[in-house]
This record gives sequence, structure tokens and C-alpha cells, in this order.
Amino acid sequence: MKKIFGWIKEIVSLGRRSEKKLAFTFLFRRFQKILGLNNQILDLMAEMGGKLGGSYVFDRHYIESSCQHAVHLAHNLIYNLDIIAPKKYSVLSDVFDRISSEIEEELAGKLVIPQTDYVMPYNLITRDFADVVGAKNANVAELKNLLHLTAPEGFAITTRAFQCFMDHNGLRDRVRTIIADWESGNMSGEQASAEIQALIMAGTTPPQVNQAVDSALKRLRKTAGGEDFFLAVRSSAWGEDSELSFAGQYKSLLNQPAKDLLECYKTVLASTYSASAMEYRQQTGFAEHEVAMAVGCQLMIDAKMSGVMYTLDPRFPERDLALITATWGLGAPLVAGQATADEYTVSRKPAHPVTGFEVVRKAQQLVAKEGGGCEFRPVRQDRQAKPCLGDQETRRIAETGLMIERYFRKPQDIEWAVDQDDNLVILQARPLNVKSHMAKLVCDIASILKNYPVVFANKGVIAQNGIATGNVFVVNSDEDLDRFPQGAILVAKYTSPRFAKVARKANGILTDVGSVTGHMATIAREFRIPTIVDTGVATQLLHQGQEVTVDAEDNVVYEGTIKELCYYEFTEEAFEESYEYRLLRRILKRITPLNLLDPHDKNFVPSACQTLHDITRFVHEKAVETLIDLNYYHHHDPDVVARKMKWHIPLDLVLIDIGGGINERSDASTVGLDEIVSVPMQAFLEGLAVPGAWSSDPTSVDFGSFMSSLTRTFSSHLATPKYVGQNLAVISKEYANISLRLGYHFNMIDMYVDDNPNDNYAYFRFLGGVTDPARRSRRAKFIRDILVRNDFRVDIRQDLVVGRIKKLSAKRMVEKILLLGQLVAFTRQLDVQMGSDERIVTFVEGFEQLTRLPAADDATGGKPHE
Amino acid sequence: MNDAQKTSILVLDDEEIVLKRLRPALEKAGYDVEAFSRSPEAFARIREKTFDIVITDLKMEGIDGMEFLTGVKVHCPETQVIVITGFATMETAKESFQKGVFDFLAKPFKLGEILETVKKAETKLRKNKSR
Repeated sequence: MKKIFGWIKEIVSLGRRSEKKLAFTFLFRRFQKILGLNNQILDLMAEMGGKLGGSYVFDRHYIESSCQHAVHLAHNLIYNLDIIAPKKYSVLSDVFDRISSEIEEELAGKLVIPQTDYVMPYNLITRDFADVVGAKNANVAELKNLLHLTAPEGFAITTRAFQCFMDHNGLRDRVRTIIADWESGNMSGEQASAEIQALIMAGTTPPQVNQAVDSALKRLRKTAGGEDFFLAVRSSAWGEDSELSFAGQYKSLLNQPAKDLLECYKTVLASTYSASAMEYRQQTGFAEHEVAMAVGCQLMIDAKMSGVMYTLDPRFPERDLALITATWGLGAPLVAGQATADEYTVSRKPAHPVTGFEVVRKAQQLVAKEGGGCEFRPVRQDRQAKPCLGDQETRRIAETGLMIERYFRKPQDIEWAVDQDDNLVILQARPLNVKSHMAKLVCDIASILKNYPVVFANKGVIAQNGIATGNVFVVNSDEDLDRFPQGAILVAKYTSPRFAKVARKANGILTDVGSVTGHMATIAREFRIPTIVDTGVATQLLHQGQEVTVDAEDNVVYEGTIKELCYYEFTEEAFEESYEYRLLRRILKRITPLNLLDPHDKNFVPSACQTLHDITRFVHEKAVETLIDLNYYHHHDPDVVARKMKWHIPLDLVLIDIGGGINERSDASTVGLDEIVSVPMQAFLEGLAVPGAWSSDPTSVDFGSFMSSLTRTFSSHLATPKYVGQNLAVISKEYANISLRLGYHFNMIDMYVDDNPNDNYAYFRFLGGVTDPARRSRRAKFIRDILVRNDFRVDIRQDLVVGRIKKLSAKRMVEKILLLGQLVAFTRQLDVQMGSDERIVTFVEGFEQLTRLPAADDATGGKPHE
Repeated sequence: MNDAQKTSILVLDDEEIVLKRLRPALEKAGYDVEAFSRSPEAFARIREKTFDIVITDLKMEGIDGMEFLTGVKVHCPETQVIVITGFATMETAKESFQKGVFDFLAKPFKLGEILETVKKAETKLRKNKSR
């Protein structure tokens, strides 16, 4: 019993201890540790993101070790935050556990489908959802949403629904066992396929999937405009229509009544395990654990005519032609090779003239039946020998097709239809395999390349790899972007996220300055635009209209158009399609995206963290906040000796040195200015005491007496407990936290300066005042104007002003802190004079004249480009 | 240019992705490239044909890269060996150089870096031949 009491006592005292204030020096060390970890993980994330660019050769081992490192650093960050703010953000650990276990599962080879709905309407789908809706759905939706082409309305039943179906029916393990039997030769492919398909057809769709499908159908019914409507139900497997086309491996069902959708869904799911699909996967090295089937449900298009376009005629690639086939009615028999069709060859270059055609007799056409399904019907006599397409139609199809090719960066195999209203509808687009046809064209690419002059090579960093040809278009302004021609090469001094505007048009991007992990690089990767950044020379060496070939594989820019190099790229498996690239890309989705942008947002909470970057951002923000709060409420360590500042300016200031902030540790109870070696403190005091700056003091009181009248410490009963305290500075070599009670204002400045710009920040907080609210708020506006003009980020709420600046070089940082010192001295009781709004402008000008601010012109001080 | 004049390179790495990236880059730079992901095949090929340059990983499943590069040097001392490894330590680097390796690159590396290294190895080959 006694033992139990002792135990309880211990727990209670433990609890109390955690609430007890920890020594400030100790907390500060932790804070510094967080800063260090923060930089490490940001560097690592940038490095990992850079690997997607294409300059590097990396392997699986790299992915594993760098992931482990990132997870370790994030864990350490959370651990240290928990020390300085005990138990305050404990949800963070749960979030971390979830993210790190997802990363682990990805590394272990399990496909982790992001938490999505069972059904996604096409208007919400982008390429980033390819994992969820399959490439076929993603491509069609992307053409619709991004390139604004006409494609059928519809929705996707996601891979999550597939996984849910397999779990609901307990099929995962059974399928795995059958596959293993087949792989080890104990069972034939046909047998294995039949068994798995039977299991799927005997399964039932989970209720939550039924529900989602039902409501999606209801929405689609509105578009269809009728109770009875018909769907094309198409396979859209994970990985299908990527580099591996899986052409014809899976089932698609046409003109199915909407009420039969769930039965059709199962049929398409079952086709995932057709014998040929299983063998195709095995031959192409597609891992079984990567199998996940999504299904596209599209409104059936009532086609007048249909066909296929190959954006590059694979039979004669050297002729640089596109191939279009066309027939009356639906295109399915043409795709399946069951019908004859008209054939047109057109030039790949605008305006795509027809170079040859062959019209055949088309006696039969496939049409949609009234009650569902399709049937062949005879074509009207007078139309049988008539060509399906005229010049206008071929040009329309060619233009659209080449836009799709430019976007997907491979020759395309496109299924199209013309509906009863003469709209060109894109049903499907997938990469066209031209490898074998290209081989002889590009057999000695090295000697072909020798014929072309190199404009520059190995100058920058590849942000997105690929080959691009086109004419140079130099972009200096936003207006230039509006004039950007289709298919040009964008050349600019800086990268800018605004280039997204021309992402549909640009064949390639070259910039003088920029980074692989910047926003524009992300956009370039999204649109797969071959991009080289940070070349240093692009705008100098290239001129408007110059015809160039950008090799963003080997980092070379050639003069002229090298067709063969484009073809060579067509023959190679795109880097983006390799398992390792896909793995790294998938894993990075859980590491690098930043969702927690604004600390003032109500979603800036641990539970909203989705990635390691979010966690890092959150920990950093909260660590700074905690440190500031600690000083704000003056919870400094009572054991630390506090010493008074001895100065010609009667500033009633107490200094607490927590490490290297004061030159010599003497026992004296005062500190002189020359003894202070804290970099930010020194800069601040220097600013406060800039000689001559006060000659036109706005209060027309001499500085010394003015200062002394305002810097006396208020007795505690006059102020709210929150503001009690004296003028206090907690300093170290790199750090200073200054709380000033000047007159009735409260000023808090928190600063850190060392050699690494990423560590550096200054936080400035100003509150209070002696006069009426209008005058106080004018003074706040004055402070805001000064801070904004000096690149601070400023929040203002009535007369509370918060200014932040960070990540400047030590030199620039010191300049900014010096300015803060001047500002603090200048603004004391300024509100007395703030009689009108015009005075704000006058004082801003006055202040700038006094301080003669240097122009923000260097790279770190200027407005960042991204 | 015919193949006989081209500098021949054998690449051995058990991670396919490395081969997929290296082969086209080297081909475009004008080299005659053979790539292997399994060392027995690479060993067999070394016995059949003398390569100017061998690029090999050090740590691969089943075999020791050190053993392989020793074998290469025994079979043809003229061959320049470039080691690429994701487990770069001072010890392995030292050991590689002692065994007469031309250069040592830590993975991940830039395509430009390996092309540069290959060029340097070529220069050395030419010097050796003209001697």
C-alpha cells in the first residue's frame, strides 16, 4: 500500500515537474537544435526533390537511405519541440507515425493509395490523381480540364474502390496465393486467370461503393438529361496507358444502361486478371502489388464517325507525318482491327496539309442499340464509298492531336469521334509505341549530333528532362507571356510561377537564374516541359526567334532543329516511367509538399499536417513562437545573473547572457556597450543610438531627456500583469530577445543572426500608446509602411504591428536590425503628433531621409522572384 | 564512324535504373555500351571481349564488386575501371584505388559527372596507348 502511495506521489511530482519552467538556457539550446534540424531536413528535401529533375542517376538504395534520414530528422524535430513546449502538440506524434508508416509501406513495395473517395467526377481529376483513377481516366480528364478539349462527361470509380472490393470479399490473399502458384509453375495462366475472375464475378460490391456510384450516377443523369441513359464503361488500371500501354488487355463495355453499371464494373474488374494481362505484366516487369483497377464511366457518345490518330506515322517516322484513320459510326471495330477504314496522312507541321489518302468502301458500321449494347448495321449505299473526312476535319484532328503529343511528350495513339453536333470528342489518348520503328533512324545519334553547333552545354541544372525543339521567345514581362507563341522555347532571366500561364504552349524553358525545387520547376514537371534553370547565360547567348533544340537529358542547347534527337527520346523509356522514379515521386508526395502555409490560418494545426514538410514548418513556427512567448512573459531562468546596461543613453535595460553575448564574464553588476558582442544586440543598440539621426526629432525634445522621460520602469500595479517587467534583453552570440517598455508602448524584438541565411530572422512586435485610438493606429500604419518598404512581412491589427523578416545574409540582417533600432527610437510617442492621415506620409518620408536607407538591390535583400 | 573506332564500355550494376540511365547517356556521347545487371554474365563477357572502360557498382547482391574489378584488372590491366557506389566510405575508396581503379563516384551522381570521368579515363587510355 505504501508502495502504491509512493508511486502515485512520484507520478504527481513528475507531472508537476513537467509544468515547472525549465531553465531558459536549456530551452534555448533546444531551440537552436530545432533550427539546425530544420535546415538539415529542408536541405535533404530539396536534394531529394532535385533527383526528380533528371540530372542525377540514383538507385533504390538512395531512396531508402534518404527516406530514413528524413523520417529521422522529422522525429527529432518533434522530440525537441515537445521538450520546449511539453505535451502541447502531442497530436504531432500521431501524424508523424501515420506519415512515416506510409513511407515505410511504399518502400516495402506496397501501393499506398491516398485517402480518396470511391468515386471521382472528371472535373476534379488531374494527372496527380493517376494513382487513384488510372492513367486512362486521368488523361481524358486532364485533356478536358487542362487543355480544354471536348471529352465525354463522366466519373471514375477509383483504385480505392477496387481495394475496398477486394477486401470486402476477402480476395487479396486468395489472389496472391493463386498468382504465386502460377508464377512457380504449378498452375497454367488460363487456369489461374479463370479462378481469379470467377472469384471477382462472385463477389459483391461493398455498400459504401454502391452508395458513391449511385450519387455519381444521379449527378450524371442531370447532364444526360434523361432517366434512361447509357454509358461506356472502360478499364483504367493503375499504370495502364503509361509507358506500358496494356493496349487491349483489359475490357471496355460500350452503350451499357446506367442501371447495369455495377455488373459492368465487376466485369471490367475481372478483366484485370485476364490471362493475357497477367502475362503482359509479367513480361514487362510490372509488379503484381502495383495492380489496382480503376474504371471510367462515361456518357456514351453518339458518333457520326470515329477513328484513330497516330501523331507520328510509325511506319515512316522519317517522313514526319501523322496518320488518321476514320470510319462511320463507332470506332470500336476499327481499334480491334475488325473493320476497314479511310486513311489519311497529314503533315505534323501547321497547317497540317493532307499529303495522301486512301478511301475504302465501308459497308458496315457499328451503332449503339436502343436498349443498350451495339450492333453492326449496313451503311447507306451513297455513303459507303464517300470519304469520312474533308480537309477541315483532318486539320482539326491533327491540331488537337499534336497539342496532346506536346503535352504528353510522346507520340500519341488517340481515339476520337465526331458526335451528331459535329463536336470533335477525344475518347482516349495514350502513348504510341514507336521504339522499334525509330531504331534505325537514330542508330548513331552521337555522330548526328556532331553536325549541329552547340550554343551552350552543362551550364545549368535540369529541372525537367526531355527534348524540345522550337524558336526562342524571350520573356521579360507579363505582357510577353500574353504574346507567347504556340510551340516556342521560353527564355527568361528568372524563373517565375507565372510561366504556368503558357504551360500549354511552351515546348521548353531556359532561365539564367532559378532552382530545381522552386515553384516554376514544379510547374515544369507538372506539364513535363523540358526545362534547364540556372544556366547563367541563356538570355545572353540566345536571341529572339532563334531555332534551337533543348536537350534537357544531357544538358545541351543546340542551334537548329534536331528531329533525330526527338525521335531518340521517343525510343527511350522515359525516366518518369521507371519504377524508381515512380517510387521516389510517390514517396516525395508524403515528404515535400507544403500545405501549412499561413500561420494565422485556422488550419495551421498539427492534425492538418500531411507531409514531413508540413511537420517541419509547424515545428519551426511553434518553436519560434514558444521562445518569443517565454520572453514575452519573462519566464527567464532565475539562476541566470541579470546585469544592468551602463550607457550614455539612459535606457533602463537588464541583460541576461545565455551564451557568448557578453565579452567578458566579470562579476560586475553592470555591462558597458563595448562588452556586448551579441551580433543582433549590437546592431540594435547601434541603431537606437545612431548619431545625428535625431537632429530633427519629431518631438522637438532633445534626445537624452526625451529618452529618460520615457524609459522609466513602471510600477507593477499600474499595468496589467502581462506587461509587468523592465526593459529586458536575453542575448547570446547570435540571438537577442529584447522587451522594451518605452513610455506606454510595448516593444518586443526577437532576432537571430549567424552565417547561415536560413537561420536568420527578426521578429518585431509593437503595441500600445498613450493617445487616442485613431492616433495610435496612424502610428501603427507608419511603422507598417517603414517595415514594408524594408521587405518585412507585416501584420497589423488596430495598433498592434507585427513585422517579420527572415533568411537574409548576416550582413543584410544586421542592416535590418539597425533599422529596427532606429525605428524604435523614432516612434516613441510619435502618436502625439499623428494628427491626420497625411502625417503618416510625411513621417515615412522624414524617417527615410533621416536614415538614408540603402536601396534593396542585392540578391538576398531584393524581392525574391518566387 | 564505325563501332571498331568507338571506345567500348561495360556497365555492371544490379539496379536496372542505373543501366537505364547510363546506357543512353553514354551512347549519345558516342560510346559503344554493353550493360549488365548480373555479374556472372558480365564476367563471361569480360573473358570474351576486352573493354576500354568498365563501370561497376561495388556492393551488389550475391557478389563482391571488389572481386569483379580485381578480375577485370587481371584479365586486362589496360582497362580503366570506374567504381560507382551508394555505400561510399573512405575504406572502400582506398581499397579501390589500391586495386588500380581509375576513379570512384558516389551514388547518386550527375550524368555530367560520369561523362566527365569517362572522358578523363579515355584520355588516360590514349596516353597509355601512345606510349
